[in-house]
Amino acid sequence: MYKLFLTFRYLISKWVAVFSILSVWLCVAMVLIVFSVMDGFLDNIKQHSRGLLGDIIIDNSTLQGFPYYDDFSIYLKEKMPAEIDVVTPVIYSYGIMREPLTSFTKPVRIVGIDFDSYCGVNSFRESLYYDRYYPDTTSLGFAQLPVAGVDEQDKPILPPKLEKAHQSYLNDRDEDKFDETDFYGKTFSSPHGFGEYVQRFGQPSFEGNPLPGIIIGTDVFFHRDKEGFYDRQVLNRGAEIVLTILPLTSRGTIAENPIPVAMRAVDDSRTKVYEIDKICVYVDFKLFQEYLSMGPLERVDGTYTQPRASQLLVSLKEGNDYNAVAPRVEALWKEFLVTLYGSVTPKDADLLTRVGVDTWETRQQAFIQAVEKEKVLVTILFAIISIVAIVLIGVVFYMIVLQKTRDIGIIKSLGATSLGVAMIFIMYGAIIGVIGGILGILTGTTVVANINEIQAWLASRNPNLQVWSPEVYTFDRIPSVVKPTVIFAVFGMAVLTSTLGALVPAMKAAWVWPVKTLRYE
Amino acid sequence: MVLAKATKIHKSYPLGKTRVSVLRGVNLEVRKGEMLAVTGSSGCGKSTLLHILGALDAPDQGTVSFAGEDLFAQKTWKRDAIRNRDVGFVFQFYHLLPEFNVLENVLMPRMVGTPVLSWISSRKTAKARAAEILELVGLKDRFNHRPKELSGGERQRVAIARAIVNEPRFLLADEPTGNLDAKMGKGIMDCLRGLNQNGQTIVLVTHDPLIAQQADRQVRLVDGRIEA
Repeated sequence: MYKLFLTFRYLISKWVAVFSILSVWLCVAMVLIVFSVMDGFLDNIKQHSRGLLGDIIIDNSTLQGFPYYDDFSIYLKEKMPAEIDVVTPVIYSYGIMREPLTSFTKPVRIVGIDFDSYCGVNSFRESLYYDRYYPDTTSLGFAQLPVAGVDEQDKPILPPKLEKAHQSYLNDRDEDKFDETDFYGKTFSSPHGFGEYVQRFGQPSFEGNPLPGIIIGTDVFFHRDKEGFYDRQVLNRGAEIVLTILPLTSRGTIAENPIPVAMRAVDDSRTKVYEIDKICVYVDFKLFQEYLSMGPLERVDGTYTQPRASQLLVSLKEGNDYNAVAPRVEALWKEFLVTLYGSVTPKDADLLTRVGVDTWETRQQAFIQAVEKEKVLVTILFAIISIVAIVLIGVVFYMIVLQKTRDIGIIKSLGATSLGVAMIFIMYGAIIGVIGGILGILTGTTVVANINEIQAWLASRNPNLQVWSPEVYTFDRIPSVVKPTVIFAVFGMAVLTSTLGALVPAMKAAWVWPVKTLRYE
Repeated sequence: MVLAKATKIHKSYPLGKTRVSVLRGVNLEVRKGEMLAVTGSSGCGKSTLLHILGALDAPDQGTVSFAGEDLFAQKTWKRDAIRNRDVGFVFQFYHLLPEFNVLENVLMPRMVGTPVLSWISSRKTAKARAAEILELVGLKDRFNHRPKELSGGERQRVAIARAIVNEPRFLLADEPTGNLDAKMGKGIMDCLRGLNQNGQTIVLVTHDPLIAQQADRQVRLVDGRIEA
């Protein structure tokens, strides 16, 4: 009983112990905050990476792409009906885009997608701005320029199709939910305050030549300010854009002269991965395939070349593990190649043999691993900080033991064992770990829960204190996720660290020779 | 009946590069119920002998039997338990725990000998017993005082109360009046005498012949040996 009694009494009577609690408290809070932000960052990266690619990726990592992609899509669905949900082909290439207002040009990565199936494979649709506020009005087909007019009460109004779509958005929206797309637009010329539309007096209408639609990565055109908002005034919906495409042959040479294509900016995509949003534009798959000469072309002998795609993206049905399915898809691909034996031209065979199957995770491994390695690095740093905490607690406890040497002698003279005396200080250390750990976890979780508000408050006091700049980072808000496993691990470490810190002084206490301490006053 | 018996006890301490021999073959018997005074000049080994008799220190050579059992043939934890249960120490400088009040100081030996769960059930009885003993030594109104709020004599009474709270068979007092004035010293001796009259075996170490005279029996330690 005396062990508990003495431990608690020393805890409340020794102010120096407060410093140990404080060090554990701050360490735990700091570790929890940093880990939560890193975990949040990593989770967001993973979520967005997967959201952009789908579960499984099949490609040969060349600009020429590979043939027979359509046949393999059908083959795959037939062979694995329980696993495969949607398969969509994608073409990647590069081009030059001319800005409509300035006539400046920019290099862009062109992604040819089949809009509907691509949105079925990943969460691309969620990244679209206009499609959010005017649902189902975005497509990559031919489109005209939407022009806002005025109604009978002289109020601005969009064409009925867009008005109706916006009404459905208003009906379905969740006002309580924070909507990151609120950052998308700062200035608005639309009647509803969402997006930029050309306005004229008169009736709303669709005007101009029907041109193929193009979805532009948000950061290609829009500049982002320090608060995270995009200035959208530079581009209105339906604006005409000229995209210059460079077609490639299956041998990898430029097939013909660059093709300038006039298109309409029907929407913009913000995947929240800056590296993608600053360079990617999305056009219709079939159209792009045709422009790139990757579609079926007639040979001199009257036969046709095989159409090519750069990539097949596969999404799995619920309950399937992509890590388990990917090797089976790879095996099926090999099986499929056997079925083509004898009917493939040497050029196509070259392209086909390079095809590989990856999961979204292995594809993004370089990036994910970089962040994970950073996490390991931070863990090492915190391990060093923990050692500092151990030393601090050790020093504090050593002081207490030195101060209490006579008390230890007295307790031993009353029959306490050496182990019992050591246990007083070990329990003391453990309790400091528990108290510091609990306080640290409460502080850490509170800070993490309000981290964006805290940063906003700091920035309002002094703009230089804005550590997370949406202008620089991929995400608008500081991502954070408090994982119960991290809480338990950090708490366990706090208790362990404090106990370890108390161990050496506890051993010193256990070795106290009572006769020596009791001889004098 | 012999309660404790020391046979051929030798003890030396390191002093710089040499060793100082303090006890050189001490033989001593303590009979049950007696009050024995060990006298001798300062530094002659009185306290060392007392510590060895109470299992607080170990001899280099020789044996100590307590109630017929060889004390130093026992395991350490067993010896600690005997010290808690059967031995009570009273020191010259009281050695009370400053963070605890009088009642808590007196309860400490009980706490040392009681596991947490047993303490929950026996706490009230222990407190009542401690209060009873404090009343016995004349500290009825001092339960909640800290040691620093007491006089020297009161502190020594608390130390005596603490030493007897477990009703030990053996009470060892090391210069119990050495730090007190004559009046307070007399009060403490009256207290010890009273306990002895109730059957408490007491070994008293003192260099004061007047105090020693109050014991039933006296032995003198000279040059590390009991003077014949």
